[in-house]
Amino acid sequence: MSVADDLAYGAEKAAVAIAAPKAAVVGRVSLAVHVVLWAAVLAFCLVPLLLVLIISFGHKVEGAGWEWALTLENYKRFFVGANWPAESTSLYLGQLYWSMRYAVSAALLAIVTALPFTYLMTRQSRRAQAVWLVFLLATVSLSEVFSVMGWDIILSNNSGLPMLFAASGLTDWLKETGWFDVLRDWGLANPRNVKFKPSEVATVLTLSYLVWPYAVILLYPALSRLDPSLAEAARTMGAGPWTVARTVILPSVRLPLIGTTLLLFVFLLGAYVAITVFADPSQHTTAVSVYEHVRGSTLNAPFGAAQSVILLVTATAFLLLGQWLTRKAARPS
Amino acid sequence: MLRVLGTIFMSLAAVVVALPIVIVCSAALNGGRTMFFPPQDSTLARFGEFFISEPVWTRALTNSVIVAIGAATLSVLLAWPIAYRLWKTGSRASALLATLGSIPFAVPPIVFGVGLGFFWSFMGGLGTITAGIISHAVLFLALPLVTISIGLQAIDRAYLDAAATMGATETVTFRTIVLPQTLPYTISGFFFALVLSFNEFIVMFFVSASAFATVTLQIFNSLRNGYTPTMAVAAVAFIAVSIAVFSAVARWGDLPRLMGADQSRS
Repeated sequence: MSVADDLAYGAEKAAVAIAAPKAAVVGRVSLAVHVVLWAAVLAFCLVPLLLVLIISFGHKVEGAGWEWALTLENYKRFFVGANWPAESTSLYLGQLYWSMRYAVSAALLAIVTALPFTYLMTRQSRRAQAVWLVFLLATVSLSEVFSVMGWDIILSNNSGLPMLFAASGLTDWLKETGWFDVLRDWGLANPRNVKFKPSEVATVLTLSYLVWPYAVILLYPALSRLDPSLAEAARTMGAGPWTVARTVILPSVRLPLIGTTLLLFVFLLGAYVAITVFADPSQHTTAVSVYEHVRGSTLNAPFGAAQSVILLVTATAFLLLGQWLTRKAARPS
Repeated sequence: MLRVLGTIFMSLAAVVVALPIVIVCSAALNGGRTMFFPPQDSTLARFGEFFISEPVWTRALTNSVIVAIGAATLSVLLAWPIAYRLWKTGSRASALLATLGSIPFAVPPIVFGVGLGFFWSFMGGLGTITAGIISHAVLFLALPLVTISIGLQAIDRAYLDAAATMGATETVTFRTIVLPQTLPYTISGFFFALVLSFNEFIVMFFVSASAFATVTLQIFNSLRNGYTPTMAVAAVAFIAVSIAVFSAVARWGDLPRLMGADQSRS
């Protein structure tokens, strides 16, 4: 195996070095560094994930913790419910559906708005680009709790937008024109005023906000390498700006576009705070359920682990799908 | 016409990105216990509470700083030999090691957090600051790995050849050429890990097991009781740190290059 190869390489180096005493010390140190590195990476990067996988087959003891086991009951509970075949539930599958639904809509919204932005950004001077990057990196690294707090203040019913709507007379105008009933149908209004909490719109907007700077940062390398002379040539030949965007720019960034969308999607699958704050409890996601089962009131670690595995498998499946799409798109047609 | 539209679009995007942050930050000025926007009876008293007088927050802030600095240092120390071996030998084993080291950053944080929670409860470190530092170091290992690799690739091979011709040993070459040339990239990697560790909370939530709290964790725990202006002060402090750090990276390092910009154009 490659681990063995690597160790053998170090050992070989050490063996050769025995001739010269000083070099022997260096060789032994190098071997030691080697072993420590492999041990650290395997222990801390891989073992935790393996533990999740193993514990997902564990058995929950009623009224106590859980024990090691090799049962599929946690997976059965996820897909058809614990009491199947007597009764079945799609509660957990439904949560996975909402995970994917939020992640897909938020990722698409972010990518569609980030693409033109990034394109315009890369056409600016290098200095301006650096300023934009500092701004975006600062916002993207800001903890999810702060941005969600901000949107919560903007969208909550007692302050922010709904109050602004009522105070400015916009609510009354909406009622007169009949749009208010449409908003009620969409779940964006209560009998008296507009409301954005809880709603799917607010959830998707906030999630999309969270990943938007990531989208720009991920698209940035591809777009900054785009040769401007191509677009200029197309313009000289009389193509309109939309034609240029559709026929020159979009095809040349197709691959990074697919890749970025998938990365955003995977990132969003694990989103937690925004969902608990903005989504209706009936529309909560698998990530929320994992949290509840591992640390929350129910305390069922094996089931939480099983849901984590399913989340991870979903993410990996989409990444593989993306790789396959990319390879297919890269092949000349 | 199109230029104007472009400028409007970019300004609009900047406003939307900044809006919630500006609102949270201005809420820090509130005199009362509730968050209002615009703030009512503006005061800076909340800043004193956060940084000096409220033990809950000062303790959380100390923990955040310890974890962030410890984790960033540890992740750079781990990333250096991995990146260096990959660059030096290009062997498949070292490539595998680098890939394995980047896995934690790539999986959804809640999954890795759950795994680390199990891991530390078996190892007996659950709820200790040390476990928190190691967990974050591993989680953000990918960042210094990437920046240091970019730095190593930027070294002109001609220098190395010249050093080899003149009989420099690997140690001397490393000290006189490799280390100085990659220093800005190492520092950038350190700061990326530092800022992300400062702001991370879901992995820390599972690792801390409520035995200690960082600032983000403290805020997350108090989400149910509603927001207080003191939390907004934390937001101000955090965004200030992020902007300072990334401006420093942009000033002394090559930020567009780190983010993958084309080198031929400027």
